Amino acid sequence: MTSLLELQDLGVTYRTGEGDLEAVRGVDLTLQPGETLGIAGESGSGKSTVVASVLRLLPKSATVTGRVLLDGEDVGAMRWGRLRAARWSEASVVFQGAMHALNPVQRIGRQIAEPLRLHTGASETEIDARVRELLEQVDLPAAKARAYPHELSGGQKQRVMIAMALACDPRLVIADEPTTALDVIVQAQVLDLLGRLVAERGIGLVFITHDLSVLAATCSRIAVMYQGRIVETGDAKDVITAPRHEHTQALAAAFPEVGDPASRYAPATSEPLPQEGERDPQQPVLLSARELRVHFRDRTGTTVAAVDGVDLDVRRDEIVALVGQSGSGKTTLARTLLGLQRPTSGEVHYDGRPVPTSSSGLRDYRRHVQLVLQDPSSALNPRHTVYESVAEGPRIHRLGGDEHDLVVAALEAAELRPAAQYLTRLPHELSGGQRQRVVIAGALALNPSVLVADEPVASLDASVRGEILGLLLRLRRQLGLAGLVITHDLGLAWNIADRVAVMYRGELVEVGPVDQVLLEPNHEYTKALLAALPSPGPDDARYTG
Amino acid sequence: MSAPVWARRRAAAAQVWQRFRTNRGGLFGAAFIALLVAFSLLAPLLIDQDGLDVVRATGGSLEPPSGEYWLGTDESGRSVLLLTLWGARVSLLVGFAATLLSVVVGTLVGVVSAHFGGWVSAVLMRITDFFLVLPALVLAAVLMAVLPKSMWTVIMAIGITSWPTTARLVRAQTLAVESRPYIERSRALGGGHGHIVGKHVLPSVLPLVFANTTLVVGGSIIAESTLAFLGMSGPEISWGSMLDRANQSGAVTAGAWWYLLPPGVAIVLVVLSFTLVGRALETVLDPRLKGDR
Repeated sequence: MTSLLELQDLGVTYRTGEGDLEAVRGVDLTLQPGETLGIAGESGSGKSTVVASVLRLLPKSATVTGRVLLDGEDVGAMRWGRLRAARWSEASVVFQGAMHALNPVQRIGRQIAEPLRLHTGASETEIDARVRELLEQVDLPAAKARAYPHELSGGQKQRVMIAMALACDPRLVIADEPTTALDVIVQAQVLDLLGRLVAERGIGLVFITHDLSVLAATCSRIAVMYQGRIVETGDAKDVITAPRHEHTQALAAAFPEVGDPASRYAPATSEPLPQEGERDPQQPVLLSARELRVHFRDRTGTTVAAVDGVDLDVRRDEIVALVGQSGSGKTTLARTLLGLQRPTSGEVHYDGRPVPTSSSGLRDYRRHVQLVLQDPSSALNPRHTVYESVAEGPRIHRLGGDEHDLVVAALEAAELRPAAQYLTRLPHELSGGQRQRVVIAGALALNPSVLVADEPVASLDASVRGEILGLLLRLRRQLGLAGLVITHDLGLAWNIADRVAVMYRGELVEVGPVDQVLLEPNHEYTKALLAALPSPGPDDARYTG
Repeated sequence: MSAPVWARRRAAAAQVWQRFRTNRGGLFGAAFIALLVAFSLLAPLLIDQDGLDVVRATGGSLEPPSGEYWLGTDESGRSVLLLTLWGARVSLLVGFAATLLSVVVGTLVGVVSAHFGGWVSAVLMRITDFFLVLPALVLAAVLMAVLPKSMWTVIMAIGITSWPTTARLVRAQTLAVESRPYIERSRALGGGHGHIVGKHVLPSVLPLVFANTTLVVGGSIIAESTLAFLGMSGPEISWGSMLDRANQSGAVTAGAWWYLLPPGVAIVLVVLSFTLVGRALETVLDPRLKGDR
């Protein structure tokens, strides 16, 4: 039997201004019908390039060596017409970022019908029937065909993308990070759907992600890519439970299992963590919110309660994780705590006193409470050097002392060593993890007592994630720095937090010590969050081909 | 501290120049403008101003080009070549001064409106809209009628009518910059309005403003010529007023092409040069406009 997809010694080289870049080197892979293959790797590991080469979607600057066989036919040798037919009707792609891959001014039904119109000669009534059938397959009511993309939630949009990919009955579906932008609960639904389609219809699925735990839940085989090569391949269970290559080990460690004592207070970091000192359980409360409400008025004039009566304390020398899905009001709560957003009612207290509202009072307040943003590549002004970015805070507050020493000390505290080497660099010359350290150093330069971090590792690679979390934990242990870490990732809370607050539709539904909330959840929503985590348990490799 | 900053700015400027050099049209425009500006500044030293005086003019009325008067004479017997060269001074001065006025007002209104938003933005934008829909020539004509007739009134008239486009451009660019997370970070660090505008917004908006400026200069020179041709200008010699006088004195019916062509061609060349430079700068500074790639 011929394999559905076979890559033979595939190599892809991009021609760039600074010489040739070998994105993919000597990749061999095969996929049988009804099988799910997971490709894991960090950004830049070449996994998306492999996908693009299957349907010849690479830019002109790429040179391909080796062979790609789709159902035994060489894709590289296909004529243009044959290739067009092969795209979508034999192999189709579910792209990442469902938010941007749909046309915002066309109804969903029309967009799903597009490949049908292009690749089949079906009549309008046949197409309508097929669209209804496809929507049914992805668990969407047929009436949604008349909806516009903005009327759907993220998960629904992702399901529309899957429906589009299935439109022409392809035998191979390639899903490129289909769940990255989704919440855990929606992610579980999408994974479930993909797995069911593989089992029911015998299609082949190639699943690409940087999150090993997602692969564990969906795939029968896993290939791990690193710097353009496949460094490890094998049975999903084996790769995850007993990774051999060090890169796989790093990837596996980056997504800890909630409840695993080995990863409690132990993010995957290469630097040793300082010993936990004596901890006084009755540390003073630094930052607190009382009956905090923030209401917005949307376009139609309806009032939306983004934060709806929140009480929260952050003490000295503790890390509080604020978890919840997107749209739950986490970021609004953080911005209100920082004084970047005015509360509708309720109060924020710092050190026992209400946070001032005057501009000079707020400026003083910000010396004590600092912010770390999600995406470090956009949180730094691309025109400012590391030195200028870190010195920005001290200059605003006219801190005394030698500015150069202050900047160097802040960079050292954020573990960018030797600091002198980074001072004159620009953000684009740094890696994602280094940029996030610069953002943290910029906050530390003001010597704050509370750090509010909004998804500090969500846009970082898996191997860097542990390092940044380790830094936050070390800062707490060494300096007693309090942290409020906002995240959708329960594993992060398990890794570093002392207490966890679960936010749902603007309210805190459960607040308590990590061990208690994550191991014995009380509220239904917390239970749902935990149940939706992809679990690599031995009996739980649900979809073996 | 400031040493690496300046070194980096120099390097950035050198890079812009490197890319600008590859644009042949822009290079031609820049060379022509540089030549003209240098000449205009030195003109009082090079030109005998007696030749510009109607009373002291030596030639006959509307003489065709000859060895003595390369481009002929006007109706009062002055050399058209001298007049055209001298006219560059007023045209360039009006062009630059009106542009400066328009760019300063436009940048200020654009940045303030985008940065503060809310009712400030609403008020400023309505004012901008008001000036945007005013017929520029009519407003300028009214201003010339109520204010003393001088070059400075012309500058003001042009400046007042041309700032709204700059304001719109700057506002759009400022809004784009202000939505970036590093502005939020700066605010969380305690940065006030002055800090955010001065350190983050202006440095990334000004290059585009600069490119836009060169385009506005061309527009201002045309506006000045139009006003002067319609008889609305000061007593100074400019290309527009030359065309006006040529028209009034019957040069057209007399077939005195040498009186009409030089100022007309000069206007076309200068405006073309500024447009070429402006377009070239835009392409260099705004990566989105790069044609291929």
